[in-house]
Amino acid sequence: MATTFKTLTANDITNTRTVLHEAIPLTGTISSGTYADENIKTYSHGMFTSVFDYPYLSSSANHIFDLATGYSDNSGLSGTYGGDQESKKINIYTQMAQVLMGYDVNGAVQDFDMDGNLVTSPAGTNGSEGSGKMREVFFINFARLLGKDEIKKGSFELALVTGGLPSAFGASAPYYANGLADNGGTLGPVLTLGDYSATSSYFVNSPAGEYGLLYSGSREPNPGSAFGIVFYQAAIAVVSASVWGNPIGGGPWTGADPGQDGPSACGPFMTGLSPTGVGTVSGSWISLMTSSATLDQINNAQRNRIKNISFNNTVELNSTIYFCRVAHNEFNYSANPTYLNSSKIRVKNSTSDQPVSYITTVGLYSSDNELLAVAKLSEPLKKDPNTELTLRVRLDY
Amino acid sequence: MAFLDNSGDIILDAVLTDTGRMRLAKGDGSFNITKFALGDDEINYALYNKNHASGSAYYDVEILQTPVLEAFTNNTSILKSKLLSISRTNLLYLPEIKHNTTDGLAANTTNSITTVLVDKDTADTFDSGGNAIKSYSLNQETIFITFDQGIVSNAIGNGSDVDLDADLWETQYIVEMDNRFGYLADKSGIQAVPSFIDDDNIASYYLSTTTNSNFFGDSGRNMNGTVISGPRGSRLQFLIGSSTDLASSTYLFTQLGGTTVAADSITSDTDGTYHIDTTIRITGATTGYRVDLPIRYVKNQ
Repeated sequence: MATTFKTLTANDITNTRTVLHEAIPLTGTISSGTYADENIKTYSHGMFTSVFDYPYLSSSANHIFDLATGYSDNSGLSGTYGGDQESKKINIYTQMAQVLMGYDVNGAVQDFDMDGNLVTSPAGTNGSEGSGKMREVFFINFARLLGKDEIKKGSFELALVTGGLPSAFGASAPYYANGLADNGGTLGPVLTLGDYSATSSYFVNSPAGEYGLLYSGSREPNPGSAFGIVFYQAAIAVVSASVWGNPIGGGPWTGADPGQDGPSACGPFMTGLSPTGVGTVSGSWISLMTSSATLDQINNAQRNRIKNISFNNTVELNSTIYFCRVAHNEFNYSANPTYLNSSKIRVKNSTSDQPVSYITTVGLYSSDNELLAVAKLSEPLKKDPNTELTLRVRLDY
Repeated sequence: MAFLDNSGDIILDAVLTDTGRMRLAKGDGSFNITKFALGDDEINYALYNKNHASGSAYYDVEILQTPVLEAFTNNTSILKSKLLSISRTNLLYLPEIKHNTTDGLAANTTNSITTVLVDKDTADTFDSGGNAIKSYSLNQETIFITFDQGIVSNAIGNGSDVDLDADLWETQYIVEMDNRFGYLADKSGIQAVPSFIDDDNIASYYLSTTTNSNFFGDSGRNMNGTVISGPRGSRLQFLIGSSTDLASSTYLFTQLGGTTVAADSITSDTDGTYHIDTTIRITGATTGYRVDLPIRYVKNQ
């Protein structure tokens, strides 16, 4: 009996899982005004700021990350200003903490932990190893487009300009990454944070998946000296405000790393460019957080201090491979209308000639003959009774 | 001494068709790949030159240079011609499926399109003495759309004398048509039930000689008035009825069709007609041979 289909048996189908990584380099110029801030989107609610890779009104623009800033209700900053802006700052922190850190046994939202042991420390206490909390932080929420399934452990790096910055980073004024003069002013040093050693020492006690601690490149990675947290599956970096100066109620204070010597060392927080309606602000991080400065203004200042972000993302590719085995006596004829000339097979002169066909397409069918998937060859593949083939057709999910 | 080519298996990346995605989204288990077929849509076998002066290695040199298109994701637009498994290698002739316009319903003489008159008003206006299907009275039709299967050459004998090999005999046909426009009916005018309707509203009817005998006519040596000169297989006969949408509304005509004024022997009305041109695809399930029949649905203006 002539037939056009061949049934796949259980031995012809197998499943595989492949992990793919992409390198994601983000330069500070994207977040600090390459497009005259037309790629920076603010919202009327003022809770966060979005960064795009192109002016966001363009259909070509891709969402890169969001920037948000807040402090805990347990922070020493809480209650220092009051009003709507303070509520927003606390609300952002609380929302992120309840999603990323979860709740303690009493149902209270846990503050971000700097050592991963989740030991609760009294409000306002700092520094003691095993109990430190990060209560004043800013968040970088990466778009799923970049983070994909997760950030690859040990690949995350964030470089921040932590000192004085008289003009917008990445703006027309010249900038020297090694901390030299910028328009006559003094540019603060660059602090590079990374999840060093996270490939072997990450934490699994978050409801949002695995996370690693962000350490300064100049520090030995050990609990208590972290500057932030990167949540791998959530693709969110939480960075302690201690990188900007001396926040109240959090941060590792023992070292002499850049940005940890108090608010005065941080210098004025100032931006030269800003999205329409946001306006510029100046002052130390703490002074901004305890004033009427809006989150958009503070986010604006922080994004201008991002020098570089880089990480590798991860995609889990699940594939089904169908081994389409073509035996020597199969698929040697064709139903192609050009195969026949007045019913005579064109590729044969006599009955003793071998039939020949050419494969260009593999179709995968359901039992009711519906075409569900198609694979194409790059060039026609000759098939005759002298050849046997196995075509591996991979379907990715 | 050179190394042997160990590239081994050929690895291909597959893409889901629109129907595949639809079934996957349903999540009801209907996405279940159980078999495969091979296609050669891009190949023009007329390029196979058995008389190439440089010898047999060059017979198919032009075919092997054929560029191959990327995959279409429309399930009905790809794998139109499949490769065929027949264990014998000594076949020199293969059967075809031919539209029989002599014993079956003739196509319109002007435009070579088979015509379906979608309602009684249209049929009354353009009654052409049986040269079109009157959808409102299918059960009174006596001439059917007819397809004969067999070898069109009598090189291996006349069809009335020689039987078609049993393994090349079509016992099942697949008829695909746009379900928005019409439906398939047997010779008694009874509407057939589609096996399934895909995401593009293409209905597939599976017709078997054993379970759908009213779709088949005389076969083999008994087939008369045929366009098959050599050994004959089966004869498929059917009618087309128009959908309620076409019979009761001009919406689809204005969206997808056109208007004709003073057309031909069937639609020669100065008031003009609405029409939709489409095709019906007939595929032999055994040999994979495929024929597209142009159809015009006509409605009086």
